[in-house]
Amino acid sequence: MAEPQTTPTRPVRFRVHRRKAGDSGGRYDSFEVQLDEQRTVLDGLVAIRKEQDPSLTFRHSCFHASCGTCGMRVNGADVLACVTKVADLGPTVTVEPLANIPLVSDLVVDMGAFYGPFSRAGRPLLRESELVPGSQRAEGIDVLTRYEDCIECGICVSACPLTGSDPRYAGPAALCAAGRVIEEPRDADRLAALRFADGSHGVWRCHVAYECTGACPSNADPGAHIMRLRRAATADRFRRWFGVGRAAR
Amino acid sequence: MSVQPTPTDEPGGGAGAFLGQVISGAALLVLLTLHMIAQHFVLPEGLRDYASVIEWVANPIVVVLELSFLAFVTWHALLGLRAIVFDYGFSPSTERWITRTFVVIGVVTVVYGTWLMYAIVSAA
Amino acid sequence: MSGQRPAAPVATAGPVERRRGWTGWFDPRGRRLGGWAFALNRLTGLGLVAYLYLHLGVLFLLSQGPDGWDAFVDVALSPPILVMDVVLIFGMLLHGLNGIRVGLVGYGMVATRQGALFVGLMIIGAIVLLAATLRVFA
Repeated sequence: MAEPQTTPTRPVRFRVHRRKAGDSGGRYDSFEVQLDEQRTVLDGLVAIRKEQDPSLTFRHSCFHASCGTCGMRVNGADVLACVTKVADLGPTVTVEPLANIPLVSDLVVDMGAFYGPFSRAGRPLLRESELVPGSQRAEGIDVLTRYEDCIECGICVSACPLTGSDPRYAGPAALCAAGRVIEEPRDADRLAALRFADGSHGVWRCHVAYECTGACPSNADPGAHIMRLRRAATADRFRRWFGVGRAAR
Repeated sequence: MSVQPTPTDEPGGGAGAFLGQVISGAALLVLLTLHMIAQHFVLPEGLRDYASVIEWVANPIVVVLELSFLAFVTWHALLGLRAIVFDYGFSPSTERWITRTFVVIGVVTVVYGTWLMYAIVSAA
Repeated sequence: MSGQRPAAPVATAGPVERRRGWTGWFDPRGRRLGGWAFALNRLTGLGLVAYLYLHLGVLFLLSQGPDGWDAFVDVALSPPILVMDVVLIFGMLLHGLNGIRVGLVGYGMVATRQGALFVGLMIIGAIVLLAATLRVFA
């Protein structure tokens, strides 16, 4: 009988940010976990919670970069923990919550604060999705909805160097959402979305660092959306001032 | 679900400043290149001595180009500093005071540079 | 079952702000090409503003006659100052050429190719810097 194949493991040291509600400050706790080279940071965190510290809090759901809930900072980079392999990270893995979004506990941030500017952008978070011709709805489901483009993970907001200092900045995610309204209005108020974005704490605050685009795990490309919004806002202004160019509406 | 958008600021806020940076930056690409070539790279020593400077500024085209360079570089520099300061999220009234402060610094800089040029041209 | 549930931990404070703060723009961890372009553009910009006012201050010597200025020229042509000149030209080239990227991309042109544009402009900058360095030390 053949020996069962075992994947070799190695010890990985995790330094994990800890802070509970009411704590006066944050700290880092160290954990050692045996992981094979296929394991991800999220696998490591799950193992820590299961075997070493049940009080560790973090968000996750799908384990395959689809839901956007496990966005966090790993060794300083803003990533989805579920697709970040520990084998690529060296002997110590430092895990912190996303930056620039208020912290709730340990690695959990307040996504309500993240969603606020989305509403201001005039774009419903959920939009009706077209059914593929011939497909059938599940029983009891009248309307299909989906998150399009952006998986709303908050990584772009954490990666943005401007959101870190200017709390009034709308941020890349909301501006990307406004950009989608301009691109594909579907009865939304295109001009109102443009007015939202066209301000000194909107698209004109951005300094073209493109960290949002680089960090985005779903290729929504917020940086390019922000730049196209600037072009649309400029064209709209030219149209109003000189009567030339295409209308924004 | 329909939510009325709340503008991030008054419409167009920040657009004028960015346009100003682009215009002054484009002017500087030309004027700085001319300044560097004329004042440094065509000279054997790389820097004019006093007599050479006096002779050089006797040409009115040089005076116009150097004063234009001063105006654009001051505009660009202070607008850039203002953008950095604004990144720290001040209230609209504080932002207005910051802008006024930079305008005063800019005017003082250009007046000083113009006086300096006048003094050098007078010596010529 | 008693129906009594254990008391949940009481939160004594809501979510806490955790922004990167006023030095966050220069955090080098996890930074990509555009992020480096932004940080270097800002650093060179601050350096060039400082140099502008230093330069205007030194030019005051020209209003005082030949003695002060010609003595300054002798110092300015010494090797340590020439090395500083090369650093200055590096700053001008990086800031100026990256400014072309910011101006174009900032109005929605080549919005998806900003990285390649930056690399192309920096190659031009490296060539010009090399030529300028040779000229400075010629």
